[in-house]
Amino acid sequence: MKNQNINTNQEYKYGFTTDIENIRAPKGLNENSIKFISQMKKEPKWMLDWRLKAFSRLKNLKEPNWQKPKYPKINYQDLYYYSAPKSVSSKPKSLDEVDPKLLETYKKLGIPLNEQKKLSGVAVDAVFDSVSVATTYKEELTKKGIIFCSISEAIQKHPDLVKKYIGSVIPITDHYFATLNSAVFTDGSFVYIPPNVRCPMELSTYFRINASETGQFERTLIIADKGSYVSYLEGCTAPMRDENQLHAANVELVALDDAEIKYSTVQNWYPGDKDGVGGIYNFVTKRGACRGKNSKISWTQVETGSAITWKYPSCILQGDNSVGEFYSIAITNNHQKADTGTKMIHLGKNTKSKIISKGISAGKADNTYRGLVDISRKAKNSRNYTQCDSLLMGNKCGAHTVPYIKNKNSSSTVEHEATTSKINEEQLYYCNQRGLNQEEAVSLIVNGFCKEVLQQLPMEFAVEAQKLVGISLEGSVG
Amino acid sequence: MIENFKIDSNEIDKINFINKEDKNFRIENLNAFNSTGFPSKKEEDWKFSDTQAIFSKNFKKLNLDNSNSKETDIKLIKDFDHNYMFLVNGKLVNSEFKFEDKSKIKISNYHEEKFSEKISKNPFICLNHALSNNGYYLEIKEGYKFEKVLVIYNLFTKDLSSQILNNKNKIVVGKNSELHTINYTINRSKNKFINNSYESAILFENSKYKNICIQASKSDGYFHKFSNNKLRSDSNFSSFIFSSGLKFYKQDINIDLEGENSECDIKAALFLDNDEHQEIKTKINHLVPNCKSYQKIKNVLDSEGRGIYQGKIYVKDIAQKTNAYQLSKALLLDDNSEFNSKPELEIYADDVKCSHGSTSGSIDENSIHYLMTRGLTKKEAIQLLINGFLNEIISEIKSSTIRKFVENKIELQIHGY
Repeated sequence: MKNQNINTNQEYKYGFTTDIENIRAPKGLNENSIKFISQMKKEPKWMLDWRLKAFSRLKNLKEPNWQKPKYPKINYQDLYYYSAPKSVSSKPKSLDEVDPKLLETYKKLGIPLNEQKKLSGVAVDAVFDSVSVATTYKEELTKKGIIFCSISEAIQKHPDLVKKYIGSVIPITDHYFATLNSAVFTDGSFVYIPPNVRCPMELSTYFRINASETGQFERTLIIADKGSYVSYLEGCTAPMRDENQLHAANVELVALDDAEIKYSTVQNWYPGDKDGVGGIYNFVTKRGACRGKNSKISWTQVETGSAITWKYPSCILQGDNSVGEFYSIAITNNHQKADTGTKMIHLGKNTKSKIISKGISAGKADNTYRGLVDISRKAKNSRNYTQCDSLLMGNKCGAHTVPYIKNKNSSSTVEHEATTSKINEEQLYYCNQRGLNQEEAVSLIVNGFCKEVLQQLPMEFAVEAQKLVGISLEGSVG
Repeated sequence: MIENFKIDSNEIDKINFINKEDKNFRIENLNAFNSTGFPSKKEEDWKFSDTQAIFSKNFKKLNLDNSNSKETDIKLIKDFDHNYMFLVNGKLVNSEFKFEDKSKIKISNYHEEKFSEKISKNPFICLNHALSNNGYYLEIKEGYKFEKVLVIYNLFTKDLSSQILNNKNKIVVGKNSELHTINYTINRSKNKFINNSYESAILFENSKYKNICIQASKSDGYFHKFSNNKLRSDSNFSSFIFSSGLKFYKQDINIDLEGENSECDIKAALFLDNDEHQEIKTKINHLVPNCKSYQKIKNVLDSEGRGIYQGKIYVKDIAQKTNAYQLSKALLLDDNSEFNSKPELEIYADDVKCSHGSTSGSIDENSIHYLMTRGLTKKEAIQLLINGFLNEIISEIKSSTIRKFVENKIELQIHGY
């Protein structure tokens, strides 16, 4: 399978931009632009103070440089920190009032917003750049007492909840990018599931970076109150651009007693072209706290896009008997770099965690699994199982595994396994023999390799994810 | 004297250096050490072994003066016939090769000849380069296979107290040759001291070098050892580590597989008790195709024992058909014991087989129950299970007399449990 290029790379399918006039904050990172954001969002004073506190903290922080993927220095003063489609300022009351161009963009992305919404049964809180445009299925959710809205709306309408939980999982004293987000976040989703309510549908947000030179700073906060359940989907596509764009989102999950949160991501942002020019920097902080007894947080991610992906969705297992799960597929091709993994911090008794990570590396890409399993002294009878497998295609790419394992407790058990290999020639040969061409065969084998993770995705995502796995690797066999 | 663990530059003048190059090399390295001091947990490689904290807790002042002890009386091991070398506080004082052809062996005090080495990121290596004044050079000429094992008696004398010893050794195994050594450390000092050694080995084509590292008894030693091994084609390096019993030990092992079909394996069985802290850090560099590496590290941790394993396998893009394996297992007997591991893979070639595993946990209650139903007390049952756990490594020693000797030493440690 060497030296025979079957196909040149497929062009990025979702590379287009829509022309919509933007309202922008003045360029640059300073108190004025933070005040501008806060003012545009009509935020109460406590929120502005919180942002400014984060900003003053940010001044003393340094950008981290320990990570494997290196990137050119980002000029934070040369970015716009707020940009909203102008048509939103006049607030559409229903979908009909929404700018048709926006709707067209969503259609191209295949978002089930309009006619598809009934078919798919997905409530979509679509984020176009920084402002939530329309939120569907709100009524049905409201009946059950579920709050699903943009974070800006939540700050105004449910300040008590936001005040109580925001920054409680990712404090403003966290690392550089998380703190940056705390200071300048523009929008994102807020979910609150009241006690003993099982959310009747999958909640979903599509993010989309549109305006040129705007880093997107999303903030998502999901709270599952006692005995509740929610499944949340996040999917991303971004238009083709030359400049590198920064995305530093924060996602906070809080699960109280007996609650369960399932968070699924399909990330397919623009990875840069074949030569590694352009592409998104995806520096995301995702963290969940299993605060209550018997609570559960499960992260599932399919990472195929972005020039650099750098994220570690984590679980802090505070409550006794709480469970943390992490399922991940990271596919890198061409010059993409992914450094991703998880942190499982066991604090409560009888806590369990499971990590399944599949890394696939092709072209000149680098794929790193970096994870931490930390079992504290008090976490009696805790259990962790980690499996991370890497698949290499070609000898110009790299696959790395960097697990940190700490066990401070004699009644706990930690297991870690990792393998690295290439696609089995015999399997390929067998598929070819049955009439599949090289690419179909690779796609089939890779899908099989990823099966354990793909199974964890909700139906709506699983189909898209399977296609993505195939598309991402096109042109890499040879 | 060292104030705040910084070393005065006139300490270098006390050393008999050979030329100006040597002096400059030492000064450069001393400056490098002084700029950082002993590494703390802020450094990635020292994340789990904060020497700054450990040393400042246990040492008020460090003493650079070498001991002038005349102690040389040691009991030789009687369990098996062997050649021996005798080091006192790192200094070569005596050697006997009565089972071997002496014309094939070259042994002398160590003298550095090349000073081209870059400043290392590891402050211990810098310190060693700056101040090392003892050590041996051992060369086995082409085509000679040792008849009997060579035991290197490493005696640390009674009068050591807050000393920091720096020594440097080099072993060269010629083409088609074979060498088997046992590093046997005897510690008579009742006080705390630091031993910082730097060992390099070159294995020429088709040569073999086997090494076993073991302590005679427990001691208050704080050890750091860096070993740098270069393997030419078809050579074979194997190392057994049974170094339990020290207060602190970090072994930093670097292996460059430079020639095709070379192989290395590192196996360790450690039993760490109260307040003992040991780290094994390995870096195996697969630089050419068709090489093999194998690592198996087993730790049993009791009371406040801390075991650490940081292993890295690096596979260069041309190193196809690499076969690399890494496994670390730990048994935690006490809630105050701790096991940290970081088994790392960095792979750039696609046609390779690399895997690693790491587990840690307690002794299986069912097994204890089973043994107790057979009439063993709980303590006996636990001891038997620990023994079985570590025996997997020990049983891989081929010579039965040496295996017995090692078994006895380890059993003594376990029976203290």
